[in-house]
Amino acid sequence: MSQTDCGTIREYLPDFAAGRLDVGAGKVVAAHLPNCAECRAELDLIQILLAAPPAVPATLVHQVTTSVRTSRRSTRRPWWGISAAAVAALALGIGVSTDRPVTIDGSVPDFASEAEEGELWLSDDGLLAGEPSFDGLSDEALMELLEELTSEGAG
Amino acid sequence: MTDNARGGDAVSDGELVERGRSGDDDALDELVRRHHASAYRVARSITRLDDAAQDVVQDAFIKAFRALSGFRGDASFRTWLMTITANEARLALRKRSRWNESAIDDVGPIAVDDPDPAEQAVNGQESSRARALLETLPEKQRLSVSLRVDEGLSFREIADMIGSTEGAARVNYFHGIRRLRELMV
Ligand SMILES: [Zn+2]
Repeated sequence: MSQTDCGTIREYLPDFAAGRLDVGAGKVVAAHLPNCAECRAELDLIQILLAAPPAVPATLVHQVTTSVRTSRRSTRRPWWGISAAAVAALALGIGVSTDRPVTIDGSVPDFASEAEEGELWLSDDGLLAGEPSFDGLSDEALMELLEELTSEGAG
Repeated sequence: MTDNARGGDAVSDGELVERGRSGDDDALDELVRRHHASAYRVARSITRLDDAAQDVVQDAFIKAFRALSGFRGDASFRTWLMTITANEARLALRKRSRWNESAIDDVGPIAVDDPDPAEQAVNGQESSRARALLETLPEKQRLSVSLRVDEGLSFREIADMIGSTEGAARVNYFHGIRRLRELMV
């Protein structure tokens, strides 16, 4: 199997492992696996992760639905100290990243806008594990990195 | 109305959103039931704190429902909610770091409320070990892995959520997977 094939297969492994792939794509992945130890090893890891998703607190639904109803009843009291006008203004944009805004539908309310541009990710990446941020890289550089990540073994 | 709203997946999210806009609390309850788990996992992945994640999910739903008029039916409510949740989680982290700056300086971006990964590794299962190790990865990597594996989001959707390009989302995911494989050996 070529490296290109592995790159494609590996993109689909999470959906394959979780049973989210359609039959046709599932067959393509299944046909690849017997011949590729790397993809099998990655599938193993994904299956291990899927076996123990973070437990969701049983009380959460009740907590949220109760809070939602309570907040909807108190319409005269501004939520979180911001006015309706402020909510509308905040809904105009989002400043999550330095390179591109969130644009799922152009109207994600950004209630985190009190945070300064570019600071939302804290220094998590650099502090915790010394990882570089990939956001500043060119498409070409990203492709090279991706090629490397999807063509080499983990060991 | 109540029965219809609770009729399970026969009613689309878009329909529930429409009903919610019209003041139908039962429809909003159903949206909470359908999507609270995804929202919680996003919040948990970012904050790494159970209690903070629950508060984040609560606030995210309240704010999403408040902004329902701005939601377009052609987008996925779930992805929209998850994006609001991610923003809310980052805001919560910022607030915590302001209130607890000395602790942040001491231990890194935020204290993890679970035992450390090495300790969890000893007590057992491969899956909990993998999950604990996942939490040690940088935020964009662990969030990309979680969103791709647990939620089945596309790299395009992940990019929108982590505020990056699609290529960067892909690289964050594969880098995270690779790191996990190395750590699991
Ligand atoms: Zn392969």
